[in-house]
Amino acid sequence: MLGVENLSVAYGKVNVIKGVSFELRPSLVALIGPNGSGKTTLLKAIAGMVPYSGEVLIDGINLRRIRVDRRTEYVTYVPPTISALPDMTIGDLLLSDSSADVALLERYVRIFGVECLLFRRIWEVSSGELERALLARGLARRSKVLLVDEPLSYTDVRYQLVVMRCLRRLANEGRVVVVASNQLNPLLNYVDRVLALKDGKLFINAPLKTGVDEDKLSELYGVKMKVITIDNIVDVVPVDEAKG
Amino acid sequence: MVLLIALLILALSFMAQLAFGAVMLNPLQVLRDGLREIFTATTGIARYRLERALAGVVVGASLALSGYLIQTTTRNPLGDPYLLGISSGALFAVVLTFALPASAITLFVVRPFAALIGGIIAYLLTLLIASKAGMTPTSIVLSGVAVGTFFYSASLFPQYFILRDIHKVFAWSMGSLVVVNLNKPVAIALALTACTIYSCVSRNVLNALSISDDFVRDLGRDPSRERVILTAMAAVLASFCVAYFGVIGFVGLASPHFARRLLGSGDARYIIPLSLVFGASMLSSTDVVAKTVFYPIEVPVNVIVSLVGAPTLAAIMVGMRRHARG
Repeated sequence: MLGVENLSVAYGKVNVIKGVSFELRPSLVALIGPNGSGKTTLLKAIAGMVPYSGEVLIDGINLRRIRVDRRTEYVTYVPPTISALPDMTIGDLLLSDSSADVALLERYVRIFGVECLLFRRIWEVSSGELERALLARGLARRSKVLLVDEPLSYTDVRYQLVVMRCLRRLANEGRVVVVASNQLNPLLNYVDRVLALKDGKLFINAPLKTGVDEDKLSELYGVKMKVITIDNIVDVVPVDEAKG
Repeated sequence: MVLLIALLILALSFMAQLAFGAVMLNPLQVLRDGLREIFTATTGIARYRLERALAGVVVGASLALSGYLIQTTTRNPLGDPYLLGISSGALFAVVLTFALPASAITLFVVRPFAALIGGIIAYLLTLLIASKAGMTPTSIVLSGVAVGTFFYSASLFPQYFILRDIHKVFAWSMGSLVVVNLNKPVAIALALTACTIYSCVSRNVLNALSISDDFVRDLGRDPSRERVILTAMAAVLASFCVAYFGVIGFVGLASPHFARRLLGSGDARYIIPLSLVFGASMLSSTDVVAKTVFYPIEVPVNVIVSLVGAPTLAAIMVGMRRHARG
């Protein structure tokens, strides 16, 4: 269980997250919203990586009461990208996590097709490959809450499905998995619930069926959105009204 | 394996340090006599050579660790002790001491102490400016460059007016392992040991720092705080070296690169020991060259280390790139 109560985050005088509350059971949750709406900041706050006001509860335990060196047992934030010192290799990246379960890490390295990249330098691999390596690192922990930031931006379509299938399985095993992304397809085909942020406030918090609503999504992104279903595959596409 | 080879090179250059000089001697004999002279508190050529050889090892290793820490915390491959303005601050302080009467106290107490203080003040100033700008890798590098440039230019003023001593300032700014007594390498060795132990203990933080601040937060640590502690150690080490042996460049920049390139990894567990050994052997072996090649004139070690080291680093970088392409 992940509980967020009246969470706010400010960078200097700018309020990025403005009093967000929600509660999530073990499930796979999509966190969507326009650029700059506060998705990354919300995830980082839940992971205790930025100062926040309000409370975050994981299985009823307040995040502030969890010792920092044991925090990874409760929550993990998977960043979308990194800016490493040039000579670091993908292997260094994967092994930089002392709390990882090595057997699990090996499994995810295989699943995400990262094993052939271990001796490559971080700047030598593509953005998609780096994204997969970061995911393997993050999933190799047994955190109760998994916060995955933009795992689908650079990965190719095949690995997008691999990633979503993996996250789906983790949610089925009883973890709370939140995926921040605007790649609505394939994202919405795997999730149980949709959260949407707009200007730092919670705009949608609904199960998938009611969450994917054309009017709501159009208001969220500020363009006309159309929900298309083909062979049970859901996609949400923007309609350019200026085009006529 | 790489570490073994590096240790072998270090042992060889240490022996060469003992063997070569005004006269060539059996290095083992020098080692034995030198130790005896140290313990019986007598002075002789063996003791002089041993002390100088030890200085080469600890100074090289300290500069290497300092460079590694700065490269990692600023996530900048160009990082070395001079990037944070440390050496310029020390240089400025030393130049000021030339205004004092040239007594033994000035020479052996005031000057090293001034260099230490100058280096640390410059570092603190760098940190102060960087903290106003968010203590990010970029803000530390930029304020370091600003502080360094300021102190370097400030040190030119007194040099210009105290013309009588200009060659001494010049010599000092080029670094040398001569004028050694055992206190200096021992002092540096103590600082080096403490900093090495701390670095090894915080290897996870160092690895995380060299990848992303998010990974440091992930460990439950504050990246800015870790950055301040680790760069402070780098500053103290570098200031000690500058204080006692003048400005010696390149070792701090190149040693971690040698280590990373040859190892094909950036993992702190291997890079820290390897950089230490590379730094020590680089400075030791080039000091042998510095004191013998134009004998009886001794060339500043800083000149030789850069002349020999820069092409070597270039060759390794080009070679590894080709190797990586397969």
